[in-house]
Amino acid sequence: MATGADQAVGMGLVGFSLLLFTYYTIWVIILPFVDSDHVAHQYFLQREYSVILPGIAALILLLSVAHSGGIEYSHMPQS
Amino acid sequence: MGCSVLDHCVTQEAESTDVPPSLLASGLLALKFPIILLTMTKLLEWVFGVSVIGAAWALVTFDLLNLRLPVAYKEVAWPMPVYLLVVFGCYSLATVGYRVATFNDCEEASKELQDQIKEAKEDLRKKGLKM
Repeated sequence: MATGADQAVGMGLVGFSLLLFTYYTIWVIILPFVDSDHVAHQYFLQREYSVILPGIAALILLLSVAHSGGIEYSHMPQS
Repeated sequence: MGCSVLDHCVTQEAESTDVPPSLLASGLLALKFPIILLTMTKLLEWVFGVSVIGAAWALVTFDLLNLRLPVAYKEVAWPMPVYLLVVFGCYSLATVGYRVATFNDCEEASKELQDQIKEAKEDLRKKGLKM
């Protein structure tokens, strides 16, 4: 087994992705079948945000990857 | 013989000597399907599968057939592409995290590698490379 920090980071990633999956699944799939006056609805944003927020996150991810790539390869001579 | 309209006469003449164009077209089309099935590549399979699923999603989301499904089903269906992407992302993250947590430390390999690095440095130093 890996030691110390590796285990902590790995299990942290697993836990975070499980949380994200559970929250998002309840938001997208379960909430429409729940009565609109149930108390659970106040813990979730409106449905439009369930598409907009992942879109923004994907955009930020793409931009940061491109930015890092630009930094790494900017030292190369222009071919 | 029996031509009442001018264009009717023209088609009568064409049919007596040639295969009618509509029959030719449908014959070619009938030949294309088995050829596509026989030479079906993986790309074609994926494209076909994705387009079938995409058509089903579009049918439910945009109500193309006027099925008048309950509102709840439409609410569940329309974020589906984004939901599948997010689920795939979560699965990838969980897999990477789990494999990082369970990857064995290789003590002997690490020591062996460091010994080899030391040996290589000594060798190069003897041959005159300034470190």
